[in-house]
Amino acid sequence: MSSSTKESEVMSKVTTPTDREIHIERVFNAPRDRVWQAFTDPKLVAKWWGRGNKLVIERMEVERGGHWRFVEHGPDGVHGFEGRYREVTPPERLVHTFEWDGMPGYVALETAVFEDLGDGRTKVVNTTLFNTSEERDGLLHSGMEKGLNQSYAALDRLLAEMG
Amino acid sequence: MVQYPKRLDKAFAAISDPTRRGILVRLGRGDASISDLAERFGMTLTGMKKHVQVLEDARLVTTEKVGRVRTARLGPRRLEDESAWIGMYQEMLNSRLNRLEEFLERTKGETQ
Repeated sequence: MSSSTKESEVMSKVTTPTDREIHIERVFNAPRDRVWQAFTDPKLVAKWWGRGNKLVIERMEVERGGHWRFVEHGPDGVHGFEGRYREVTPPERLVHTFEWDGMPGYVALETAVFEDLGDGRTKVVNTTLFNTSEERDGLLHSGMEKGLNQSYAALDRLLAEMG
Repeated sequence: MVQYPKRLDKAFAAISDPTRRGILVRLGRGDASISDLAERFGMTLTGMKKHVQVLEDARLVTTEKVGRVRTARLGPRRLEDESAWIGMYQEMLNSRLNRLEEFLERTKGETQ
């Protein structure tokens, strides 16, 4: 098998540029279209995403704004993960949010960039950004409140006009 | 079958239960005695002790007995702490990508 030499060349690099960002580069011995398919075709996702555990793909709408929800049946229980696709650019870039049921409100942003290495291999650069609680709380206290207030102000105006 | 790393396993198991998640949320607002928790969650003292023990094993909660009262508090590993969650996430992502690698090798040359 010629794959044995290639397997030894497989690269994996993990860096943490900031304490709330994870950067993982992996080279897969498969063409880019195939890797893209493995990330976006539910039938293929079901084969690897669950890490060997049974995976139920409840939703997988691979389009901007689309919802995904996977449920993993592990030896210690059932775990749901979900999020929304933010960017779907085949076969180059896939961006989605990631949330685990066990930590509601902790939304991470996952970006996968697929690079064709030109020799039948594909490099996947995965970057995950975690929001800090300070930012999340800040968002709750400032942004959302402001947004709500703006909505209420608009509602007030509408009601006044209707009045 | 791929197993979760042990440390991850315990934390996952600990918080896969809604009552235990509720206990963590409650303790996030302040320390509480086991009997307070039992009363609040409508459970027997023994039942609550078991739940707290699971959380303690996962190092999500510590307890301290003063006199006749055992008080529970969050920690030493705080789940609110992003670093704990980021560590768990990273382990998951790595094992996921390992699986993907195996899958792509196994199905090499196949087209959908």
